[in-house]
Amino acid sequence: MASDKLRVDALVVGGGIAGMQSALDLADQGYQVALVEKEASIGGKMIALSKVFPTLDCCSCITTPKMSAVAHHRNIHLLTYCEVQSIRENGGGFVAQVLKKPRYVNEDLCTGCRQCEYACPIDLPDPFDRGYGAHRAIRVPFSTAVPQIAVLDIENCLLCGKCEQVCPVSAVDFTQTPQQLEIEAGSIVLATGYEVTPRDAKKEYGGGKLPNVIDALFMERLLAPTGPYGHVLRPGDGKEPESIAYVQCAGSRDQTLGVPYCSRVCCMYAIKQAMLISGALPLADVTIYYMDIRTFGKGYEQFYQNAKAMGIEFVKGKVARITEDENQNPIVRVELIDEGSRVVERTHDLVVLSVGMLPRYNPQPLYGVPVADDGFVEVPSPNISPCVTDRPGIFVTGTAAGPMDIVDSIMTAGAAASEAAAYLRARKSASSVSTTTGKERELVYA
Amino acid sequence: MSHRLDPNLLLELKKYGDVNVEACFNCGNCTAVCPLSTEDESFPRRMIRCVQVGMRDELLGSKELWTCYYCGECSETCPRQAEPGEFMAAARRYAIANYDRLGLAKMLYTSPALSLIFLALVAVFLAAFMYTQHGPMNTTSLALFQFIPDELIHNLGVAAMVFIGLVGLMGTVNMVLQIARADGLTKAAIAGNSGIRLNWFEALWDTLGVEVLGQTRYRRECETAEERPPWYLQKWFIHASTMWGFMGLLLATALDWFLALLGIKPTGTWVPIWYPVRLLGTIAGLFLVYGTSVAIIKRLLKTDKTSSHSITSDWVFLGLLWLSGVSGFVLEVAIYLPRASSWGYWVLLFHVSVAMELILLAPFTKFAHAIYRTVALYVHSLKPMATVELARPAGAD
Ligand SMILES: Cc1cc2nc3c(=O)[nH]c(=O)nc-3n(C[C@H](O)[C@H](O)[C@H](O)COP(=O)(O)OP(=O)(O)OC[C@H]3O[C@@H](n4cnc5c(N)ncnc54)[C@H](O)[C@@H]3O)c2cc1C
Ligand code: SF4
Ligand code: SF4
Repeated sequence: MASDKLRVDALVVGGGIAGMQSALDLADQGYQVALVEKEASIGGKMIALSKVFPTLDCCSCITTPKMSAVAHHRNIHLLTYCEVQSIRENGGGFVAQVLKKPRYVNEDLCTGCRQCEYACPIDLPDPFDRGYGAHRAIRVPFSTAVPQIAVLDIENCLLCGKCEQVCPVSAVDFTQTPQQLEIEAGSIVLATGYEVTPRDAKKEYGGGKLPNVIDALFMERLLAPTGPYGHVLRPGDGKEPESIAYVQCAGSRDQTLGVPYCSRVCCMYAIKQAMLISGALPLADVTIYYMDIRTFGKGYEQFYQNAKAMGIEFVKGKVARITEDENQNPIVRVELIDEGSRVVERTHDLVVLSVGMLPRYNPQPLYGVPVADDGFVEVPSPNISPCVTDRPGIFVTGTAAGPMDIVDSIMTAGAAASEAAAYLRARKSASSVSTTTGKERELVYA
Repeated sequence: MSHRLDPNLLLELKKYGDVNVEACFNCGNCTAVCPLSTEDESFPRRMIRCVQVGMRDELLGSKELWTCYYCGECSETCPRQAEPGEFMAAARRYAIANYDRLGLAKMLYTSPALSLIFLALVAVFLAAFMYTQHGPMNTTSLALFQFIPDELIHNLGVAAMVFIGLVGLMGTVNMVLQIARADGLTKAAIAGNSGIRLNWFEALWDTLGVEVLGQTRYRRECETAEERPPWYLQKWFIHASTMWGFMGLLLATALDWFLALLGIKPTGTWVPIWYPVRLLGTIAGLFLVYGTSVAIIKRLLKTDKTSSHSITSDWVFLGLLWLSGVSGFVLEVAIYLPRASSWGYWVLLFHVSVAMELILLAPFTKFAHAIYRTVALYVHSLKPMATVELARPAGAD
């Protein structure tokens, strides 16, 4: 199979906020960048969030412009629905073998009009809504997806051909096959992000079987204007919850789950969500059960104090168990450490698990970049070069390196871009055979 | 209220078990997960906190130490794997060592080598002493109590009982005073001459009937809700089986003696296996051997949190119980064999020495929990009514 070839300065792996920002920072300096994202759209976790702490900015409003900027930047080659399959080094840098998965939709023709989606008879749980909403077998990934190109889930497709019939530009193509692509790059930036604790990780919390115990990412979707119900309702029976509890450190700082570290963002996002709930359901009581509240960033402590002033209840004590009553109302069992150490059971309508951040992707086998004990990419000198990995020429940004929030992801994105730029320059001046010159920095097809 | 702090408390406690509570970050998970912790009584986190900051008196005065049955649930789920359950066990050993002013308990808990030597010496001494008093070995029929006179055994037994009674009493008084101080109960109230009515009898029933014999709390609550093993392998049953067995044997021995005192049946006369006292002894022995065997196997295999930390004193206690149970059975076999076999006499010597040692050292070994837990639970049952009375303002009636 003749494979396409692409020659760039930097290969960015992962199109979440960290990867996007790194790509933009490099591209703005004139470097050619290939951004490889394995999903059908870039945006990562951030595009699914409702609003962001500490500013309470609308998340789509600040993420979508970045996504478009990436898609339209003349120095960025955006490759979605692609996966790196192998990496080798030639004299000039890295050579990545990339697999382009078939969308069964012609990317050049599709206009994102969604006619196919409306015609498709198959409903599937939508991962974008944490499986609570539904999408069709063929769909544009989500309303703000970039690129706005449909993708077909062939595994669940009936091959009924309805989409093909309605598509006004005849973009649906059931005959597509995987494509190979070779990318030559002077350096690599890993931005593969994080995963959250699975909802069934802790059997004491119902092992994922209690319908009204949800994870915080789903609460983000409930709070987002584009969420599956359009309102904050509990999934068990669609009731509007009057009493909502947050269980902090539900997956972090817990050695029984093998996660000794703090995930950093959950205190802050819980406070944020509690505030947003107070807006969405003004009569609801919100309680946050915590071990310690960690407000580590600029303006974060004030954010916490504001939440307290708004009447959000903070209760010190780690929730030990969650059960439910006959109406599927979750019951939390907790020691009220600051209230005479009493052990109480309190019933709520909805419990949100402040799930932690877990490593998502291990780059050791493919990239030869080791991970630390916690499973995140190892950074040998975190104090002086927080984005430099063990392998020269490969850098890391965002939550691939460890738990962090968006602010820090953006910061490390800039740092990784700088490190990569410095590396590229140093190599260029050291070697007579330059990888790229001004002219060559264009898409070269073999 | 002022507190005396002992900065070495944690270090001291570490000698009594696999204590890792430096790791504890005081989240309260253990307390909340504990099936026996309630609104009024919460443990183990508060006890751990006491030790972390060195509040020795509060630790020794907390009857909560004794309401814990070490089901291991807290250790299972502690996010820091600080082993709070093992901490409670160590704290109980520490408390026993503190209530015992003779220092023997401390040695038995903290110096394995010394205690093994000591135990061996005591056993050898007991055996040697009884051997010096031995009579003839009848070879035609097994006349056990001609070999070692039953008088001697009874007198030794009574002496041992008096000894442990005195030592136990001393320790108990120490403990009750500590608890009372921590609880704000006055000595007068405990002694019953302060005009405050206490629910003496109800508390006695609650403690002995419901808690000790019935193992109610242990049975109902102290077992992980999910994945319960079959009843005969549940912790409460293994414990109850051992305890019932031991108590049954004690009762059978006492009854045997009474029958002799009343002149109904001299000790040592041959009786058929269905003779009530003998039957009681046999069944109780079965319970004892079953309970201790399973407990030993669980500890060897470390089947769960509760059985995965064993210190010398645990092995010694279980070992002595098991040996006295098993040797008792061997003896019973010897009795019912058609012809007298001389090894029966040696087994008797062994059995009596081991059993005597077990009883003699009861206030200093793991056995001591039987005394202290019972008393603590009793004081604990006393308390609610006492506090109600104390809290009521004068003239409220
Ligand atoms: C419930 C919740 C609420 C939050 N709220 C806030 C908030 O209000 N404010 C805030 O600052 N932070 C918040 N955060 C944290 C925020 O989500 C993260 O800091 C941020 O999204 C991290 O971005 P990232 O790019 O590092 O990772 P991700 O967003 O996970 O992006 C990684 C990307 O890489 C792709 N990828 C993964 N592996 C590969 C591979 N092998 N090849 C190609 N692509 C790959 C993924 O598909 C994904 O698109 C919240 C987190 C949670 C869980
Ligand atoms: S950020 Fe808060 S909730 Fe999250 S792990 Fe850390 S302490 Fe726990
Ligand atoms: S669960 Fe563990 S860390 Fe939490 S208070 Fe108990 S012993 Fe300490």
